[in-house]
Parts: sequence; C-alpha cells; structure tokens
Amino acid sequence: MDIHFEGEHLLPGQLGQIAVYTAFIFALIAATAFFIASYSKKDKDRIYWNRAGRIAFFIHSAGVLVIIINLYYIIHSHFFEYYYAWSHSSKALPMNYLLSCFWEGQEGSFLLWMFWNAVLGIVLIFTLKEAESRVLSVFAVVQGFLGSMLLGLYVFGYKVGSTPFALLRNEMTNAPIFQRADYLSFIQDGNGLNPLLQNYWMVIHPPILFLGFASTLIPFSFAMSGLMNRQFTSWTKPVMPWALFSCAILGTGIMMGGAWAYESLTFGGYWAWDPVENASLVPWLTLIAGVHTALVFNKTGRSLRTTYIFFIITFVLVLYSTFLTRSGILGDTSVHAFTDLGMSGQLLFYMAGLSIPAIVLLAVYWNKIPSVKKDENVLSREFWIFIGSLVFLLSSLHIAFNTSLPVWNKLFGTNLAVPADAVAFYNKVQIWAAIIIALFAASSLYLKFKQADVKQFYVRMLVLLAIAIPLTAIIAFTGKFDVVSNIILLFAAIFGVIANLYYFIIVLSGKWKLSGAAVAHLGFALTLVGILFSSAKKETISFNSMGIDFGKEFTADAQRSNMLLYKNVPVKMKEYMVTYVGDSVAHPNFYYKVNYEVFDSADGSVKDRFTLYPNAQINPKMGLIANPDTRHYLTRDLYTHVTSVPDKTKADDKKDKEFKSHLMGKGDTVFTTGSYVILESIERVTNSKKVIIQEGDLAVSANLLVKKLDGQSYTTAPLFYIHGDRATLIDDELPEMGLTFRLNKIIPEENKIDLQIAEEEVQPDFIVMTAIVFPYINVLWLGIVITILGFVISLVRIWQKKRSSKTAPLPGL
Amino acid sequence: MKKMHIAGLVLIAVAIGLIVTMASDYSQYETFSSANGETKKDFHIVGTLVKDKDQFYDPIKDPNYFSFFLQDKNGDQCKVVFKGTKPQDFDRSEQIVLTGKMEGADFHASHILMKCPSKYKVDELEVTEYKSNT
Repeated sequence: MDIHFEGEHLLPGQLGQIAVYTAFIFALIAATAFFIASYSKKDKDRIYWNRAGRIAFFIHSAGVLVIIINLYYIIHSHFFEYYYAWSHSSKALPMNYLLSCFWEGQEGSFLLWMFWNAVLGIVLIFTLKEAESRVLSVFAVVQGFLGSMLLGLYVFGYKVGSTPFALLRNEMTNAPIFQRADYLSFIQDGNGLNPLLQNYWMVIHPPILFLGFASTLIPFSFAMSGLMNRQFTSWTKPVMPWALFSCAILGTGIMMGGAWAYESLTFGGYWAWDPVENASLVPWLTLIAGVHTALVFNKTGRSLRTTYIFFIITFVLVLYSTFLTRSGILGDTSVHAFTDLGMSGQLLFYMAGLSIPAIVLLAVYWNKIPSVKKDENVLSREFWIFIGSLVFLLSSLHIAFNTSLPVWNKLFGTNLAVPADAVAFYNKVQIWAAIIIALFAASSLYLKFKQADVKQFYVRMLVLLAIAIPLTAIIAFTGKFDVVSNIILLFAAIFGVIANLYYFIIVLSGKWKLSGAAVAHLGFALTLVGILFSSAKKETISFNSMGIDFGKEFTADAQRSNMLLYKNVPVKMKEYMVTYVGDSVAHPNFYYKVNYEVFDSADGSVKDRFTLYPNAQINPKMGLIANPDTRHYLTRDLYTHVTSVPDKTKADDKKDKEFKSHLMGKGDTVFTTGSYVILESIERVTNSKKVIIQEGDLAVSANLLVKKLDGQSYTTAPLFYIHGDRATLIDDELPEMGLTFRLNKIIPEENKIDLQIAEEEVQPDFIVMTAIVFPYINVLWLGIVITILGFVISLVRIWQKKRSSKTAPLPGL
Repeated sequence: MKKMHIAGLVLIAVAIGLIVTMASDYSQYETFSSANGETKKDFHIVGTLVKDKDQFYDPIKDPNYFSFFLQDKNGDQCKVVFKGTKPQDFDRSEQIVLTGKMEGADFHASHILMKCPSKYKVDELEVTEYKSNT
C-alpha cells in the first residue's frame, strides 16, 4: 500500500542525506590516508598519501557544508514534512531565530561542531608543515565519529546516529494522519522554538561555545600526534597559539552562557553550578592548566607528561560533557531540558574509542617522554606553576565528580544528590581553589624560570602585601564582609589586582606585547572581586512585608523574596519607590511596566527615575515564561523579574453580567457603588472605533461622564446601532472600575434613554515580582573580558615571534 | 623528584579530605516515609502532583506561600509547603523533584524542579483541526 504523499519536498532531504554519507565516508578515507602518510618512510609515499588525505578532507568539508545548506533551506522554507523543521521551528519565527532552530536540536549541534572542526582542519592543513598528516589523521577520525552521529542507519538492529533529514511521517509511524496522502495540509505549523531560547544569546552563544569545544581538539591532536610518532617534544611550541586560542574562545563561550543566564533567564544569577554549566567549565580549567604546563616545558624541559595528561583529559572531558548533556542522565538535576535521543551508547563508545588509545599510548611511552631528573628550585616559577596546575586539576575533579553524581548513582545503585543549596556546596570548596590560584597567579610572575632571585622576590612581595593587607581591611570593613573565607578571597583578589598591575606597570614598564600573562591574571583577580561582591553582597530588595503570617508553618528565616504589587500602588523597596503601572502586549510577550523612583531624603525631589519592563511570555504550549529586566548602573545592577500574575483568562469566561436599567435624560445622574454617572449628551455619530458605520445606518451614542468618589473621572460611550433592520447594542466598559455600560433603548418621545449598567467585582490587577541588587557585577564582566584579552595578547605575541623568526635569519647561521 | 612526591602526597591528602567533607554534605533521594522523623537534613523527593487535592496559592494574601500535595514513589501523599510563588505551568508537571525537609507532618520544600511534558516528545503530534483552503 504505497501512498503517494502530496506536497512534500523530498529533494533537499535526499541531497542532504547523500551529503551526510559523503561527509562520513570521506572523513574515514581522510583519516586512513593521513594515517598512512604519517607512517610512510619514503618522502614520495608521504607526499602522495598526504595529498590524498587533503583531498578527502576537502570533500568531507564540502559534504558538511552541503548538509548545513540543505538543512537550513528546509528550516527556512518551513518544510514541516521534515521532523527537524517541524519540531524546532515555526512560521512565526523571525529570520535570526531560524538560525537558532538550526542548532537547537542534537543533530544541528553536532553539525555545528563538525563545521568548526572542518574549518579548523582546513586552517591546519594550510599552516602546519611536517606535523600535518599526524594531526589531521586524529582530526579526521573525530570527524568520522561525529559524522556517524548524523547517519540515521540501522546496523544489526542498532540505530547509528540520527539524521536531521528524517521525515515526520517516518518518525511518527503510529499517528493515523499519515495514512492520508494529503496529511501535509493538516500540518500548518511547526512546534516552534522553545521560548526560553528565543533570545539573541541563542543566536551567538552556541556557535562560539562549539568553536571553543571544537578547538580543544587541536591540543589533543597535537599531543596524540606526538605520541603516535614518538616525536614527544616537537609539538609543544606550535600548539601554544592554538591552545591559547581555544582558552580564549571557550572562555568567551562560557561567559556568554553566564551572561545569558543572568540577563534573560530567571536563575537569579549568572552561575548556578548547574550540571550543564559545569560540563563546559571543567574542560576549560584543565585546558588552562595544560597551557601553563606546556609553557613550563617550553622554558625548562619539565612537566611534559603533565602537559600530555591535561591536553588529553581536556578533550575527553569535552566528549564526556557531551555525553552528560545529551544522554538524558542529568534528568532530575538540571534545568536544561535535554532529552535522550537514544545516542548515549554511541557517545560512550566514541568516548572510549578516543580516550582508551590515548591513555594506552601515554602509558606505553610514559618512560620515554623526556623529563628532568633534578629537583626543581622551590622558588622557581616552574615549581609554582606546577603546583597551581595541580590545584586546577583538583578543582576540576571536584566539579566533575559532583556533576557526575547521577552517573555514579546509575553505576553503583546509590541515591546521592548534591544538597539543595548547590551553590553553597560548590562554593565551599571552590573558593579555596580560587584563593590559591589567585595568590599563585599574582606571585609566580615575580619568580623566574630555572632560578630563584630570592631577595628581590621577597622585597617585592613585602611591598605588595603592605598595600594589599590594609586595602583589604578597609574594603572588608566598609563592605561589611564577615565570613572568614570571603575575607581571605577578598585579600587574594585584591593582592592579585595590585600585584599584576604593579608587574605590568613597573616590571614590564607597560610593554603590551609581553603583558599577556599579567593581563590574564589581572582579569582573573578582577573576576574574583566581581564574583565576591555580586554574590556575597547580592541583596533581594523585594523583601515581602505584606505577607500574612501563616503561623508556625513559617520559620523566621523564611525567604520571602517575592513582593505583591497592586497596580498604581507604590511600594517602598530600600531606597526605591516601586510602582506597577500596567501591562502592554506585544504578542507573544506581556510587558509589565514597573516604575522606580528614588527620592532625595532631604528635600523630597526625585533623584532617579526609570522604568523596567520585565516581560512574560504567555505561551499556549509552555505556560508563562518570565524574562527579567535589569537597570544597569556602573557600580551595580538592579534586576527585576515577574514571578506570578493573576490569571486573567478566568475572569473573561465568567457568567453573564447582570444589568440594571436606568431611565435617563440629558444631564441626569445615577449612582453606582463607587462612582456617579452623568449623561452628558445623546448624539448621532457617523464614525466609531468599535464599528464601521455605513451610509444609511443609524448610530446613536450616549456620552457619559463617570466620576469616581475620589474625584477621578472617565468618559465612556455605549452605542445603539441600526444596520438595515437589525439593531445592535455595543457596550462600553471601564474595566478598572468593573463597570459595563449599555445603551439599551432610545425613547425619542420622552427624549430619554434606557441606560443599563452592570457592576462586577473589580479584578485586582497586580504582579508578583522579585527585585535583586547585584553590586559591582560589571567588575565581573570586565574581569572576564580582560582575562580573555590576556590570552589574545599572548597569542599575538607568539604569532609575531613566529613570523619574525621565519623572515629573519636565525643568529649563527 | 622528592618535591614532586611531596606535592603528590599533599594532593592525595587534600583529595581524601575533600571526599570526607563532601560525603557528609550529600543529600539523598528519599520517600516521605523514610524522610519522616529526620528533621535536620535536607532530602530530595521525587513524586507526582496529586491533582485532585487542593492547592493553595493566593498572592494577595501572601505571595510567598504555596502549598500542594505530592505523591511519592511509594504512593504516600504529603502536604508540601513552598515559600515562594507557584511555579509556572505547575499543573502540567509530570514529575516533581523536591528538595527540603520534613517539619511536623508537612514537607517544607526549598527547591522545586519540574518535568513538564516536553513539546518535543516524539509520540505527541498536535494536529490542528483546521483545513487549509488550498
């Protein structure tokens, strides 16, 4: 029973699927060719196989590009016969969010990852010389693994990969609708993009983050190439610019994730130690450690084994984090809603397939990897960098271990969970890692590689301490810091800021080119200052005072961070007078207009006045989704988000209104419960906002003035409208008073009208909101930007050195 | 390599110290009956919303008080008090993970994590009853 389905566009899917196979097969061909090339003894063979590998890699990359173009074309053209387009997009989405739909799904994110790998691979083909075939063979293997995630084939009954070009009717075989040839005419629109993701961050954050993930493959491939061909040391210099690039991009990606969470999600902060956040942070920490140990090796010949471990572990952790977030194992613990697409077995297989060879090679060659036997000097820079990298390792193990609790529970049948206050749980340990790293990062710059200039070091440390300690004391006192670990962190961060500034200005005399390390370390110290102030001194100002005491059910420490605001009733929150003044709809968002005013305590004049528009999206599929709005000051942010609103849909479908009749002439007055109504005039009208009045129609309006007892007045004008031989009554409402007016009858002989008024209980208009002040949060963002700038400065420096060494003849030649 | 050995030993010592301190912090997934009697520690409870019992949330009276009934995996039902707003889309939740402690006969939740039916669920196809004019 073959059905010929109507209206389907099968061509882009078929083209795409061919490209999927092409990309996969040519990745494997490229891997094989590069592999043979790297083991070829003869130059001729090496060049031949290397060229074959290149061509295969280019074809593979072209395949990836064709997949992307076809998938984007399908999403952009709203071909909902494709499952991917149907489940991730909808017609109403603007252009830039269609891009987000592209990488919302698992297939799309693997595709994005493959795309960056292909780009980086091509750059490496053109920049690497002798190491090309070795590095690219690792690249192509990884691309083959990723490419197989898109296959969507059944091999021995096991589904390998999931293709983005699957058809809706093949994915949902049970639905009876697909028995109809014209099923597509029933599917008018797709499921749409999760409203939480309809945000510009969703447009820029994933590409950057995935470029970061993709770039960790480069240090891994370099390390692997070193092991594979027993050229244990030749890769550590060329890897540096790439490792720094990776640090900078991955760092940017993580920061954007934090900024996104802060700006548009209602976590109430930028970092929640959520498993998905942790999964991207951990490889970044090990990568930074690896960059430092690689530097030590290049300068002193030490720490090469550690460097291998860090670069390998970084990439394995990236794979592991993909497994964690994509396998659905985090189900109970994460706010990020990832579902299992049945690919977790495959992901585990790849993780093992890439990490076991790496570990075996490392173990086999462990004793052949060069190391320095002599003990290093305790006051040398390399020693403290090494110790610092161990702290990085411990810190990342701590995060990784606890993020993996659901995995341990599954493996060992345990029932453990991170405590309710996950932030406090992680902070308790990580604060010490941060303190140690900050102190090391500041002081190790004053030490020298291979030697100890003890006297100068001590003198400078004393000077720095003499500045940092009193400064810490002043800030701790004025800022009212009372937790010991916070004060120590404050000291470490201030010491870091001063020491790195001093180093940059005095020791380096402000030479930008050499300042990479100092700038990155300064940025790190500033980040800590920002984190410390914005989290330890974070203050919820919407502290509820209106709550009725529910008796013993409430303990004194109850967090009452939500405040009820009636429309137009100002409420004082700290120095702010906060008033909810109404909402407006810009479909699908409801914007709640909240006025903030600060009055001068002396003369009562307004010092500051602004309006925030926290919005809520009332989505038929997902209910109410709130987005915060934030007032940014230089030294603090005021963050506001709506947590609850009255359910207005209930008010609408109430029982019929009860009208009371009043016989009124011009100038007459009737009373309602809270107001009096004056009939100002009765007139024939020729146009109205509520109805189109044609020629020959009769429309009469009763113009009413409604005065509330407190003096406020409103006007309203119900209509009596005759079109042809049919009369229509067009009511007018004053919802804020719960009044509805109807011009029921006109009695021309008495010059009177029958005015009907319905009164109902006024629906209270209010919002429940939370307002939080984050002090000095800008220091945090500035700190991260400066850290990344530090990576970039180092990168440029290495690059320039490389170029000048290429052009200028080496000394002695 | 003496110093390296010392560094390694310190590393192991710190790691053991970490594990010991962490172990006492962990919370456990429990049921109402196993959590009962223990009022000091926090627990995680996985369960479903009891839809035919009353929920209470009246922001006009107190925007920070929300109560409902949860049925845990053993089938026991318990009143839950949450000091916050009623989470959006609460009634549609399929599964709820609570963190908190028992206080008297009630469970006081400090954190609620909901699993709502995913709109990406494969077997759910929403078909509009609307037929196009073409």
